[in-house]
Amino acid sequence: MTSEQQLFDETPLRRFEYDDTVVLAADVGPATDATVDVVDGTVIVVADGKQYEQEIPAGDARAFIKHGVVTIELSAPEEDH
Amino acid sequence: MKLTVKPLKQKDAGRGLAAIDRAAMDELELENGDYIVLEGKQNSRAVARVWPGYPEDQGKGIVRIDGQLRQEAGVGIDDNVGVEKADVNPATSVTVALPQNLRVRGNVGPMIRNNLSGQAVTKGQTVPVSFGLGPLSSMSGQKIPLKIAETDPSGTVVVTDSTEIEVSEKPAEQIRGGEGSAGASDTPDVTYEDIGGLDNELEQVREMIELPMRHPELFQQLGIEPPKGVLLHGPPGTGKTLMAKAVANEIDAYFTTISGPEIMSKYYGESEEQLREVFDEASENSPAIVFIDEIDSIAPKRGETQGDVERRVVAQLLSLMDGLEERGQVIVIGATNRVDAIDPALRRGGRFDREIEIGVPDKEGRKEILQVHTRGMPLSEEINIENYAENTHGFVGADLASLTKESAMNALRRIRPELDLESDEIDAEVLERLEISHEDFREAMKGIEPSALREVFVEVPDVTWDSVGGLEDTKERLRETIQWPLEYEAVFESMDLEAAKGVLLYGPPGTGKTLLAKAVANEAQSNFISVKGPELLNKFVGESEKGVREVFSKARENAPTVVFFDEIDSIATERGGGTTDSGVGERVVSQLLTELDGIEDMENVVVVATTNRPDLIDDALLRPGRLDRHVHVPVPDEDARRAIFQVHTRNKPLADGVDLDGLANRTDGYVGADIEAVAREASMAATREFINSVDPEEIGDSVSNVRVTMDHFEHALEEVGPSVTEDTRERYDEIEQRFERAEPGVSEDTGASRTFQ
Repeated sequence: MTSEQQLFDETPLRRFEYDDTVVLAADVGPATDATVDVVDGTVIVVADGKQYEQEIPAGDARAFIKHGVVTIELSAPEEDH
Repeated sequence: MKLTVKPLKQKDAGRGLAAIDRAAMDELELENGDYIVLEGKQNSRAVARVWPGYPEDQGKGIVRIDGQLRQEAGVGIDDNVGVEKADVNPATSVTVALPQNLRVRGNVGPMIRNNLSGQAVTKGQTVPVSFGLGPLSSMSGQKIPLKIAETDPSGTVVVTDSTEIEVSEKPAEQIRGGEGSAGASDTPDVTYEDIGGLDNELEQVREMIELPMRHPELFQQLGIEPPKGVLLHGPPGTGKTLMAKAVANEIDAYFTTISGPEIMSKYYGESEEQLREVFDEASENSPAIVFIDEIDSIAPKRGETQGDVERRVVAQLLSLMDGLEERGQVIVIGATNRVDAIDPALRRGGRFDREIEIGVPDKEGRKEILQVHTRGMPLSEEINIENYAENTHGFVGADLASLTKESAMNALRRIRPELDLESDEIDAEVLERLEISHEDFREAMKGIEPSALREVFVEVPDVTWDSVGGLEDTKERLRETIQWPLEYEAVFESMDLEAAKGVLLYGPPGTGKTLLAKAVANEAQSNFISVKGPELLNKFVGESEKGVREVFSKARENAPTVVFFDEIDSIATERGGGTTDSGVGERVVSQLLTELDGIEDMENVVVVATTNRPDLIDDALLRPGRLDRHVHVPVPDEDARRAIFQVHTRNKPLADGVDLDGLANRTDGYVGADIEAVAREASMAATREFINSVDPEEIGDSVSNVRVTMDHFEHALEEVGPSVTEDTRERYDEIEQRFERAEPGVSEDTGASRTFQ
């Protein structure tokens, strides 16, 4: 939880660093109809008909969205950047 | 499963999120985004969405929720709350009740649905909904509380896009749903999340107040008396009262306030009696908090007060706080911005056990504060809170609050023409279009001065490095000294380099020293305090020095700051000369010396001083560690003169034949001010010629044809002579040489930093 990026516009993408994983989370609001997908190190979030992309470091990543909470789990703790 | 409640970080607050630590999440088989039901005391329930737990909480069984959820669930910080996964059904229809005094026309159903969509609600719950801007009715605050009157199916439901929203006929006030948690109370409505940038201070206050109230046995075990009082002090507007309010709200304690002037009575002995009454009442209702705002008004130093009454009131307060009689579980919070004006007997253990300073917030703090204040605002997408946090040095919480309020008012002003003030109701669509833009913020920023700096605040001049012709070397030196330490903090840290504390600009009159300082003020992105030497002098003994002290303490409070002394020779002349002024001058110099290099650190405060008589300044002031950079602002050479001519003729209509190179060549000995005068004289001559030759009625038409020609410049050169003679120039060159010889350390220092460009 050391850094904060913008996922898109005013929605902050919060970063939680645990011992074994790094989790990125953003709240796009429960009402937003959004989907999330990981393709080749890029997270693609489609919300309200707009598409947002976010580069993530290489490695296994899993992303899902539930009630407006976007979660991206990176398996290995990455290097500093 | 029972988890411990902790506060959520400000930036996550207000969205109905509950951060649950990961171990507990696994145990409950929860995933991020799941709905959970929090069950607190007296069966109060709240619904939240799961948010990733903070790494520092891992395995501690912690759930972090914001004040809104805490209130709904009826729990406080460090309480236990039952958490379980919620079974949530989509709602087919929800009936909401609006507050009575909200007057909105049109069908608000879709708007409410948009706002509520995705939220889980239960019958009887009060949900705050942001309707664009708040102050559209008599309601204050930014959210409008809606009451859920009915849901179908019953139980906890989630509002979806297909849910039908009905607005109940009855206003919210008449519906008593569920437990009616909105019971009337006079405790203020502020939660810990509404306080930004004061985490450490808040933690201290809670430790002092909450702990003894919740677990007095801890203190018994330790064999000590729990603390009884906290004194909050700091500049106005930093959040002292707010913090007391939040504590009162979050702790289930009786809360009472004493306002100084109110307890004063004209009858003998009555003022003290009123104080006693407040404390009696508090101890009857204990545990209780007595909050004394502006305590300096009722507890001034006894030796210094004039009136008998004040002295007796102070004495009464002293004995109430730590007298023979036990006051039981009554905690006193005092707030003041003049901590030195309080009777010293109050400031000891047993009375005010701890004094907590609430300072001017730093960048992170400002960001949190802005997040708090913009939480309910419809901000446009281009707004980046971080930028504003960076550009608001010296702003305290109250300033930031008024900044956001002003920007919202600007947004409101934009749609005002569309509003029909005569009608009773406002169109719901117009409300929805309200949005606060970057422009609104910028506009608001212009009107708000940092209140901590108000007395010494100067409007930062609109002079950039570009407006300074020539002087490239000097500019670079200044940039190094003032801008680099702020911009490249990391580099300075890793080089173990301390930022210079001061710069002395010296040179003949008119060479642009003050102009450079202005540019610094503008470019440095710092606060700027300008001190005019003679202004500091005062007829009372000791007051002149106090002026210097105050300037520097203001500067420290509002760092990063540039303190600018124009014509410093007027207040920092050589000591030990003939004392004709009872030594004021010397004492001012001494004060200046200790401020610049004393025991107190000058964190991020840079002094810029100008003079044209560097030889008159006290030597001690010029040594490294004080004004350690001496920058000679020389008489401009030919190149510099050309640059200066360019700056001054930039916006003038020049004829083709004007040869700036030639002019620069012929103006040896002219300084910046002279060249400005030449340019002005030339265009004045052109203007004179034009106005005398043209019919006054045609002036408007033909003004665009006027040009300043070479002849005009010739004329101007005759009028304006060089102000620097060869003698003066030699004298300054000599001084420069002397400075460089006298402080080898300085030139080495500059050499070192030059290499790292």
